[in-house]
Amino acid sequence: MNTTILTNLVDTLPQFQGYAYPNERTLHPLWGVLIVVYPYITGLVAGAFIMASLVRVFKVRALEPTYRLALLTALAFLLCAPLPLLFHLGHPERCFEIMMTPHFSSPMAMFGFVYAWYLMAVLLLELWFDYRRDFVAWAKTETGLRGIIYQAFTLGVTDVTEPALRLDERIGRIISIVGIPSAFLLHGYVGFIFGSIKANPWWGNVLMPIIFILSAVVSGMALCVFAYMFLCWARRITAEMRCLDLMASFLFFALVVDTTIEGLDWLHRLYSAEEGIDVLRSLATSKLFYTLLIGQACLGTLAPFLLLGTMQLFRRKVAELNRRRVYFASSALILLGVLAMRWNVVIGGQLFSKSLRGFMSYKMELAGSEGWLLSLALLALPFLVLTVLVKYFLARDLPTMENVVPGAAPRGGKPPAPS
Amino acid sequence: MSENMTRRGAIKGLAGIVGGLLALPAARTCKAAVQNGLASSPAPAGYDPFKHKWLMALDVDRCIGCGLCVEACCQENSVPEGHWRTWIERYVITKPKAESGDTRGETFVDSPEAGRNGFPESLIPKEEILKSFFVPKLCNLCEHSPCTQVCPVGATFDAPDGAVLVDKNYCIGCGFCVQACPYGCRFLNPVTHTADKCTLCYHRITRGLKPACVEICPSQARIFGDRMNPVAEDPLERFIANNKVEKLKQSLGTGPRVVYAGLDEEVR
Amino acid sequence: MPRFLKMPPQIIRLVLLTIGIVCAYFTARYFLTPQSFGQYGHYRGDALQEIAARQPFWAGKAACVECHTDHAEKLAKGEHKTLSCETCHGPGEAHVKNPAEKLPKLDMTKLDMSLCVRCHAASPSKPKWLHQINPHNHYTGNVCTECHVPHQPNEVPP
Repeated sequence: MNTTILTNLVDTLPQFQGYAYPNERTLHPLWGVLIVVYPYITGLVAGAFIMASLVRVFKVRALEPTYRLALLTALAFLLCAPLPLLFHLGHPERCFEIMMTPHFSSPMAMFGFVYAWYLMAVLLLELWFDYRRDFVAWAKTETGLRGIIYQAFTLGVTDVTEPALRLDERIGRIISIVGIPSAFLLHGYVGFIFGSIKANPWWGNVLMPIIFILSAVVSGMALCVFAYMFLCWARRITAEMRCLDLMASFLFFALVVDTTIEGLDWLHRLYSAEEGIDVLRSLATSKLFYTLLIGQACLGTLAPFLLLGTMQLFRRKVAELNRRRVYFASSALILLGVLAMRWNVVIGGQLFSKSLRGFMSYKMELAGSEGWLLSLALLALPFLVLTVLVKYFLARDLPTMENVVPGAAPRGGKPPAPS
Repeated sequence: MSENMTRRGAIKGLAGIVGGLLALPAARTCKAAVQNGLASSPAPAGYDPFKHKWLMALDVDRCIGCGLCVEACCQENSVPEGHWRTWIERYVITKPKAESGDTRGETFVDSPEAGRNGFPESLIPKEEILKSFFVPKLCNLCEHSPCTQVCPVGATFDAPDGAVLVDKNYCIGCGFCVQACPYGCRFLNPVTHTADKCTLCYHRITRGLKPACVEICPSQARIFGDRMNPVAEDPLERFIANNKVEKLKQSLGTGPRVVYAGLDEEVR
Repeated sequence: MPRFLKMPPQIIRLVLLTIGIVCAYFTARYFLTPQSFGQYGHYRGDALQEIAARQPFWAGKAACVECHTDHAEKLAKGEHKTLSCETCHGPGEAHVKNPAEKLPKLDMTKLDMSLCVRCHAASPSKPKWLHQINPHNHYTGNVCTECHVPHQPNEVPP
C-alpha cells in the first residue's frame, strides 16, 4: 500500500492525523486508563498466587515467610479488581446481567464466573483452610470486634485435632493445585479479550493471552518481593535473605520467559510484516516511544534483567545490603514496567485507526471517570486493603522454614498485635 | 423412638413438599412483578422478522459525495453530535512520480464531519489527481458479526431479518462490540451510554419504507432490498447481476453482506 | 447416623455454604432474566419491537407521489428521476399528516451548498456522468431556475 501519513489541513481537528474513521475521532479512548488498571490488578493477583503456590504445591520451604503475605496480597487486589470495571461501564447498575444472561461466546462474559470461582473456590477457600486453626485459637483469646470476626470466620467449626489439621493441609494443597490454572484463567481471559479482537492488528494475536499471563506472573512475583521487603521494613524486622534470594531467582527466570515470548511476538510481527506493519511501526517508534521503548523495554525489562541476572551470576560476591537494594529496585522497576506494558497494549491499540491510515491522540484528564486521579486511587486502594488485612491477619513473627511444622502450634503464632 | 422419628420425619417431608408447591405460584407472581420493572414494552404486530432478509448495496461510481444521506440519517435517528451511523469517505489518489515505475502516487482519505455538509475542495491540486471518488460506509450486516460474538450480555444481536441491532435497554456500555467491529461503524452513544450503530432504519423498513439514507440519496448510489421478497425488477437483484461486486475486509472472516461495486484497492 | 454426615465438619459446612450460594444464584437468575430473553436468540425478543417502535422522520417519495402525481410524472421523464421529493424539499411528514400545512418554498437564489450547488458544484472526485458546473462563473446569473426546470432538468423554462 503506497500511503504516507499526512495532515489534511481542512480536517485539522486536534484529535487525529492522517485518516481515522469518523467514529474513532473521540476525545478519549473508548477503553481508557481504567482498562489499563484492571488487567494490571488481576495480573498481580495471579502472580501473587503463583508465588504462594510455590510454597504449597512445589514445597519450596524457603519461601515460607511470604506464603500468607502472598495470599493476602492476592486477596486485597482481587477484592478491588471489579472497581475499575464498574467505573468504566456505561450502565454499571446493569452489571448483574453479565451473570444472569452470560453470552458464552464472549470472553468478557467469563468475568463473572471466573472471578466468583477464583475468589470463593480458590482464594478464600485456601485462606480459610490455612487460617482455620488460627481463627479457632484467636477467637478464644481475642475479645470485642476482633474476637467476633475471628469467630465468624471459623464458620462454627472448632475441630483442630491432628487428623483435622492434616486434612486441612491436604485440601489446601489440592486447592492450590487447582488454583494455578484458575489463576491463569483469571488473567488469561483478559489477554484473550484483546487477543480475540481480529479487527485490531495490535491486539488480535495468538500470543496475546500468553504474554498477558506471563507478564502477570512476573508482576505478581515482583509485588511479593516488594511487599515482603516493605512489610519487614515497616515492622522493623529483617527480611530473610535466603527467602529473598530465592524469590529473586524465580523472578529472574519468570522475567526471562516473559521477555522471550514478548520478543518472539515482536520478531514475528516485524518478520511477517503484514498489512498493518507500517502503522504499527510508526506507533511504536513515535506515539509510544516513551512508554514502550523507554518505559517498558529499557526500564521495565532490560534494567531488571541485567540487575537480577548479575545477582544470579555473582550472588556470592555482592554484599547482602546491596543485594537487598537491587531486589527492591528491580521489583519496583518491574512493577512499573508491567504497568507500562498494559498501557501500551490497551491505549496503544487505540491510538491508530482501523483504516491503518492514521493516528488518534487523546487527552488525559486529571479528574472525571477516565482521569488520572481515579486511576491512582484505584491503584492505591488495594494497598490500603492489604494494610488492613495484614493488620488483622498477619502475625508479627512471620514463619520461617525452620519453625513451620504442620499440625503443631498455630502457624500464625500469636495474633497480630492490637493497634 | 425410631418410629416417632420416622413419622416426624415423614410429616416434615410432606410439609416441605406442600410448601415448595405453594411457593411456585408465589414465586411466579413475584417474578412477573420484578420483570415488569425491568425493560419491556408492548409489541406492534404484523411484521415477521423471519420472512425478510434485508440488504444494502453501494455503487461507488454513482456516489456524488453530496452527504445528504449522512444528514438524513442524523435527522432520522437523532444521532448525537460527533458520532455517525453512516459516513462518506473521499479518496484522492495522486499521479505517480515520473519514472518511478509505480502505478499510482499517494492516497489521501478524508471525511470532514463524515461528509455531512458535502466536501470542501481538496487540497490536492487538480493536475496531480489521478483519480478520486467517494465511498459511503455503514454497518456491513455481517453474517458472522464479531460485534455480536463479543457482547457479554446479549445486548447486541443479529436479527433474523439481517439487521444487526443494539438493545439499548439491556446494553451495559462496556464497549467490547465497538472495539470488535473492523469497519468502525459502532460508537458509544454519549446520551444513552450504550453502544449504538446503524439499525438499517429498522423502524422504517418494518413499515415498508426505505432507510433514510436510501430514500434521500439523489443518485441511487445506495440500493436497498429484501432478498427474500424481491419486487418486480428488483434494483438489488439487478445490481448484483450487472456488477462485479466486492465486500470490505473479507479476509477477516466476518462475513460482511453489504456489497460494493466499483471499489478501488485503496479502500479499507 | 447416615454415612455422609460422618464427613469432617469443615467439609459439611463448606458444602452447605456452596449449595446455598448456588441456590441463591439460580434464584436471582430466575427473577432477573427478562421475560422475552431467548425468544429468537441470545437477546431480548422485545428489543425488536422496541427498536421498530420509533416514529419515522422522512415521509418517503411514495407518500408524496400519492397526491402530487403530476410532478411525479414529470420527474420520472428526466434525469432527476432518481431523486426523492424530500431530497430537495426537506422533511414532509408534517405536510403528509396535515396537507393544509405546506412546506416552505425553496430559495433558488442561493449559491451556497444548500440546494442545486450541493450536488452540481464541480469536483474532481465526482463521477463523470454527473453534470457539474463551477458555481462562480456558470453564466453569472444567480437563479438556477432562470434556465433550468428542477423537475425536468432537460427542459427549459417557458
